[in-house]
Amino acid sequence: MKKTLVLSTAILMASVTTGLAADKYPARDITNVVVWAAGGGTDLCNRVVSAEMAKILGVNINVTNKTGGVSGSIGMDAVYNEKPDGYTIAGISESVVTAAVQGGWDKRMEVWSPFIIGGSPDVVSVTASAPYKDLKELIEAAKAEPNKIKASASAAGSIHHLNLLALMNGSGAKFNYIPYNGSAPAQNAAMSGEVTVVVTSVAEQQQLLKGKKLRPLGMLTPDSFTVDGVGTIPSSFPDYPKLKEYLPISQAIGFAVRSDTPEDVKKTLGDAFEKALKSDAVKKWTTENYYTVSGKHGKAAQAEFARLESLFGWTLFELGAAKFSPEKFGIPKP
Amino acid sequence: MYVIDQFTSFGLSLYATLISPVNILVLVGATLLGIIFGALPGLTATLGVALLTTLTYGVPTETALIALLSMYVGAVYGGSYASILINIPGTAASAATALDGYPLALKGEAGKALGLTTTASFLGTMFGMVVLVLLSPLIIDLALQFTSFEFFLLAFFGILISGTLSSRDLVYKGWIAGFIGLFMSTVGRDRLQFFPRFTFDISELDAGLEVVPVLLGAFGIPQIIKVLVNRQPLARPKEFARILPEWGTIARNAKHIVRSASIGVGIGSVPGIGEDIAGWVSYGVARNTSKHPETFGTGEVAGVVSSETANNACIGGALIPLITLGIPGSPPAAMLLGALMLHNVTPGPMIEFEHPGFILELTAILLLASLAMWGLGITLAKQVVKVLKLPAQVFMPVIAVLCVIGSYSLGLNVFNLYLMIAVGIVAYFLTEMEYPISPLVIGVILGPMADENLRRALMVSEGSFAPLFQRPVCLLLLVVIVLTVMSQIPACKRAKERLTDRVLGRKPRNASMDVD
Repeated sequence: MKKTLVLSTAILMASVTTGLAADKYPARDITNVVVWAAGGGTDLCNRVVSAEMAKILGVNINVTNKTGGVSGSIGMDAVYNEKPDGYTIAGISESVVTAAVQGGWDKRMEVWSPFIIGGSPDVVSVTASAPYKDLKELIEAAKAEPNKIKASASAAGSIHHLNLLALMNGSGAKFNYIPYNGSAPAQNAAMSGEVTVVVTSVAEQQQLLKGKKLRPLGMLTPDSFTVDGVGTIPSSFPDYPKLKEYLPISQAIGFAVRSDTPEDVKKTLGDAFEKALKSDAVKKWTTENYYTVSGKHGKAAQAEFARLESLFGWTLFELGAAKFSPEKFGIPKP
Repeated sequence: MYVIDQFTSFGLSLYATLISPVNILVLVGATLLGIIFGALPGLTATLGVALLTTLTYGVPTETALIALLSMYVGAVYGGSYASILINIPGTAASAATALDGYPLALKGEAGKALGLTTTASFLGTMFGMVVLVLLSPLIIDLALQFTSFEFFLLAFFGILISGTLSSRDLVYKGWIAGFIGLFMSTVGRDRLQFFPRFTFDISELDAGLEVVPVLLGAFGIPQIIKVLVNRQPLARPKEFARILPEWGTIARNAKHIVRSASIGVGIGSVPGIGEDIAGWVSYGVARNTSKHPETFGTGEVAGVVSSETANNACIGGALIPLITLGIPGSPPAAMLLGALMLHNVTPGPMIEFEHPGFILELTAILLLASLAMWGLGITLAKQVVKVLKLPAQVFMPVIAVLCVIGSYSLGLNVFNLYLMIAVGIVAYFLTEMEYPISPLVIGVILGPMADENLRRALMVSEGSFAPLFQRPVCLLLLVVIVLTVMSQIPACKRAKERLTDRVLGRKPRNASMDVD
């Protein structure tokens, strides 16, 4: 009798727990803590994708913003300190990979398992009145007079600056890099003629390209890119094959869970993530905003973030802009 | 025909907005919230718009725009309450208002001053709106003339002029305060190369000094100590003070209003700078062109009108580069840009093709927001003046608590609290030595802009200062700066008088005045 009771209780408990585990996640609302401000690219992207994923998962995904610290460290720290159960996720972008070398926190990107939505590809453009009609003319002119032609690309160590550095390394041209505090002032400077060249994303430039305030010369991605009313912007790779060694360095907007989150939770999230990216709402939004969808998650996404971490960390360190050497955290050289 | 079309669609936008009760509720609510945000020291227009942005994600674009623009208009106006009543500017934008507003309150004319600023803010917003619709293509061409050298000179001029204007005895003291502010703004990692400056390995200093705790410490603490130590009573309101200004007063100040509004729109349309500097420049021009500059600082109505008209006119100006180029003209406009993108509206040269009628819709909302602001302002002013009846021993500690909350709420960072107290103590001793405090705060606000742009300008020109003299806007700004400095040097003043006498044929100056 006693035995039967113990046994039946054990069976009951086992079935209850397995039953719970099977359909447990997600049993309640999920919180997406975006580490950048409301209205920015990372925030918008996360809101659109979270809304679709919520429909698929059948629970709400509340998107909040927790900004500040160094490279989004405050928001990342907040999520990292929560239980790794998939109920608190961090809305991040490629810019968070510098948090460690900039002194924001002491962890590497391997603590995250990211889900990469994608980002807008970078384009090389010039002032509308500049004489260069295509990328070749610009590169030849820059080679003829090294460090004479001025180029802007957001702040030093930003993704756009890394793209500009890659363009210089891959083509052999030398530009005089002028840093600006953000993409908008950098583009403004190219419009007013203070600088000639600007490297920022298509999403950031689209209005100025359509309004003929800037002229696009080439994409810094393997594929060409079509913008309504502007036409197809060719890839820079065919003319400068060496660019392949350095590029593409693409935005990686998305969200992440702690890498020690249970595999089944990650799988549930991953399936919903893939479905959400195929939904009409996300497709419409990404096309209208000139994003390229990545859709990487799991191992592939972790590898992408490791690559970005090493690329950004060492570039910043070589610029003298990093607080700590990437070696301190064991970040390998790119 | 075009004009008629524009008017019709403007009327339709206006009608569409007014027909929905929800919109009207949001309009009034957000304006009121804005006024409260502006009036409370430490809560700024930028913060208000930022907080509201997150709340508007789920609502229709039009309602979101109403909420955000009303908040913006209300907050820029609301700053004048604290400036006038307690001499602690609610926002940096209304710091110049305190110079004459508080003396007016001390004379018992707080009600009159508030009524005037309400109407001035309303007219300023309207003026900015009209310019936004009619002249934006023209203004944007001018704004694009601004490169790093011009931005540097403009920031430098802003600090210089606030130093010149707020000094009660020696103008050098204002400049010294301004340079202390400039120095404070260099703390932290520089924004071009991330080099840590004066951070002493303290990680909190890495990002630099936040403006809000500096503002609260610098203005709030000395005022609280002074009122409590000297048992100085708060300004007394006159019984039955008339709030609604007489038309005669408005008419007499018409030229100040038009001039200040033009200055406000102009400064607003230059990307990156906004209300903070507009109030000062406008106040400065008013004093320099006045026939009796000595009355400024003692409760001159024209001074209050000038700074308040300009900071509200700035709103329309700041929207010009935002809408036509996608570049925010002021810090709150930068928040507004984020909010627009959240609603899938990307401002820029193509906005009228992608979202037809958007500019007119924006204008209609701006008109309604300024009307709501005026109505609420006139109603509120009468009640708000009554806080002056509270004994200082009760009122000032409340202000002190608000200063503490204001500093802490920004990023929930205890370090900002220490910063506010440290700045406050230094500021108290500075005010005891009759140093003006506003230039210090303006220095902290505009310092990064001056520093970053000068260094970038020299990178662009490869170390040459020649563009300063070759670019027309630069040259103009440079001349204004040199004249501002020279006009304060006694030797130059005497030389100028002698020169004028000689030109006028050695006639005594009074005689020549009699002629006209």
